[in-house]
Amino acid sequence: MNCEVCQLKELDVEYFEIGEVLRCILHTIFFHRALGLVRPKDVDLELFEITYVQCGDAELEKKVDEKIDQFIDRVEKHPNKKNQICLSFFEVKNKQATWFTHKVEHLYWEQWYINLNVAQHPKPQSGKSHHSKLVLDPGESASDERNARRATLESSLHEVLFQIIKFVNEKKDHIPPIPNMEGVSFPYEITISSSSDSAFGMDMFKRMLQTGQPTMLS
Amino acid sequence: MDLQYNSSNNNPNEHGRNDQIVSQFLLKTLHIVLESRVPYIRPNGCRGNLSLGSQARKSDKWFNLALGERPTALDSLNFWHRNLMEPMIIDIILVQEMPDLVQNGSGYGALVETVIERWVVQYEYSRASQSHQSSESYKRTYKKSIILLRSLYSMMRLLPAYRAYRKLSSKGKACGFDIVYKVSSFSAPFTRSEEQAMKPYSFIPVEAQHGRLSVSVKYRESLSDFNLETSASLPPEIITDYVGSPATDPFRAFPDHKAATSFPVREIPPPQRPHSWSSGGPFMYNQSPPAHHSSSGRYDLSFSPTSYDVYGQRTQNYRPPTHHSFDDSPPFSPSPPTYLSSGGNYMQSRLRSETAPVSIPNPFITTPRYLSPNLSDPNRHSLPPMLPRSTRYEVSSHESPSAIRSLKKSEMSRVGDLSSASGSGSANHYSPSHKVSRDNKDDSGRFSGLLSSSGSPRVGFSRSSSRLSLQDELDDIDFSCPFIVDDVDTCDSPVSQSGVGGKQGKKSQDAAVGALVRMLRTAPPLRQDSSCCSDHVESQSNSSGLFMSRKTSDALEELKAYTGIKHLILSKSKDTKQQHLYTL
Repeated sequence: MNCEVCQLKELDVEYFEIGEVLRCILHTIFFHRALGLVRPKDVDLELFEITYVQCGDAELEKKVDEKIDQFIDRVEKHPNKKNQICLSFFEVKNKQATWFTHKVEHLYWEQWYINLNVAQHPKPQSGKSHHSKLVLDPGESASDERNARRATLESSLHEVLFQIIKFVNEKKDHIPPIPNMEGVSFPYEITISSSSDSAFGMDMFKRMLQTGQPTMLS
Repeated sequence: MDLQYNSSNNNPNEHGRNDQIVSQFLLKTLHIVLESRVPYIRPNGCRGNLSLGSQARKSDKWFNLALGERPTALDSLNFWHRNLMEPMIIDIILVQEMPDLVQNGSGYGALVETVIERWVVQYEYSRASQSHQSSESYKRTYKKSIILLRSLYSMMRLLPAYRAYRKLSSKGKACGFDIVYKVSSFSAPFTRSEEQAMKPYSFIPVEAQHGRLSVSVKYRESLSDFNLETSASLPPEIITDYVGSPATDPFRAFPDHKAATSFPVREIPPPQRPHSWSSGGPFMYNQSPPAHHSSSGRYDLSFSPTSYDVYGQRTQNYRPPTHHSFDDSPPFSPSPPTYLSSGGNYMQSRLRSETAPVSIPNPFITTPRYLSPNLSDPNRHSLPPMLPRSTRYEVSSHESPSAIRSLKKSEMSRVGDLSSASGSGSANHYSPSHKVSRDNKDDSGRFSGLLSSSGSPRVGFSRSSSRLSLQDELDDIDFSCPFIVDDVDTCDSPVSQSGVGGKQGKKSQDAAVGALVRMLRTAPPLRQDSSCCSDHVESQSNSSGLFMSRKTSDALEELKAYTGIKHLILSKSKDTKQQHLYTL
């Protein structure tokens, strides 16, 4: 089984937008991958005119929120870096319970990379921003810029959601059989990473994708 | 469900399952599309209805996507869509009323319908797909269908028409447009200009046993042309005959409206309704009645508040004007005379005379509908509570039934806004409007019904009344002010409330004082004259009536007491006593 990788379009977000954006993207992915019985729940974003769909699974919601908090902490600690969340779905194979290791093999069959470029310094009290777009700066130009940036982000987020739907439709063969359960049917994990500004890791991925070879990560 | 397959049906079970998946897929798709585009399609107006019957629950679990109870209209699809090979075309149509200035001066424009989305769901049969059949391919089909439907569900919320649906759901009639749907197996192709405005999107088809399931859409990328956002800020239109002369019939239907409205629900036969299932085949006449009945039932539920509105249509721009004519009329204290001006000055004079604040026992009389435009604040009492009763006065004197109608109209539209604005439609909004609509039926003289109309939204907002209790409260309103009811002649009835027989009492006091003065002037020897003077006074008072003589005798007794005091004072100093007497 191949591992399909989807690199989502990079988004430039401000600190306070991280939570909403991540929640939207993660839940949308989950909604398309939780192939057990779900009762969809529509959620409106507060900052944007976008409605996404959740699975209606409370536990999933909690886990997602935890991960988002972790991500935000990471962003605070590593500012000026591109940050990435990776959502991976795997199959559990060959649970080898030897006496010295409990080796559980994860066979990843799908990976989603959400790339966020956090624009503003996470601590607003400092008043500094490496983009030097101060929130405190009064005047029309600043608010116009903010509005323009917000509009751009909204349309980019829209594009990302379209991207997810497209990917979900195109690649269906690699999905393992659906277990008979409700909600999230496949085991998953969410990992957070951040790379330097040179983004060598992402470049590598991009190159790999361009060559059309799906990588098997385990 | 017989599909003609020339190939060998070596596995009839498989075949049957495939067909079942395909037909359920069509149903599910229709459900998804309609429930996210047409606000009134839900049977109960609630999502995720947990009180589904077991049968409904089972069918809801298809494709692992539980959407809640399926609208009854969809069930007729089963009956209709016998032939799985035919495409199912779902048109999502935006209906707007364009103000037409050229028309017959009525100010009502034509309804413009625009297809904003066209969904085509099809089971594309192809023989070639049989080559890679394997057993249990239906399982793969099912799994992939699940994913396809998930992405369809998400996509419904990403397309531009979803915003329009949300606006319509939240604002109802006030947003100035409506969304209707049409399901058919064929449709007129788009014009070139329409085609250019539409953007296509196709989901990747899902392989099925003898073909593939495909879902595609053409949608309008931008709905900004329709000015959906600006409906709330429409300039208020002054409808010249809004107040209504007696010649105006507030309940006339508007003949030039094509779209089925709640009027047509009751009067015009179904084929004009946009909820048409035009299969184009022999099934049409069989299916349309059930479809219409079920949806007309729903329409009754959703739209009865508007059914008797003068401008009563689902779509309409005319809601905003009536709405605005409230909001934009200046302070409502002076405005009721405006509304009632056709009733004449009689009304106004009554208003002016009855400004004395009077405590009204029944709280529901205090916020007549037309006085408090801000529905979110039902506790505002912008006028003295006398006003509705003065309206009633006018009613009883048959001065101007049109004034009552204008109140009714404003009442109806306001309540209609309420009930539509609530989206899912709380029952509380229905009950007052139901009551009003019922009363409005006979406009000849159910004026208690009018009063109920002015009182009811207050009730509605208090959210405490069922229909029955509303009746009771309205009955109370009728009898809250008994002292007003019969006293048509005098203008003094409110004043008279301050003291029983006050005015008459005043007169008797005057008479007594006059008598006292006369008596005191004529009689130094008070004892002697008091008896004859009291007789004098009594004879005088007798002539004016028994009531007055009683008062006079009381005064005389008082007088006697005073003379006693006078003697005491006399004994002290004669001079001051004389002065006191003369100043009395």
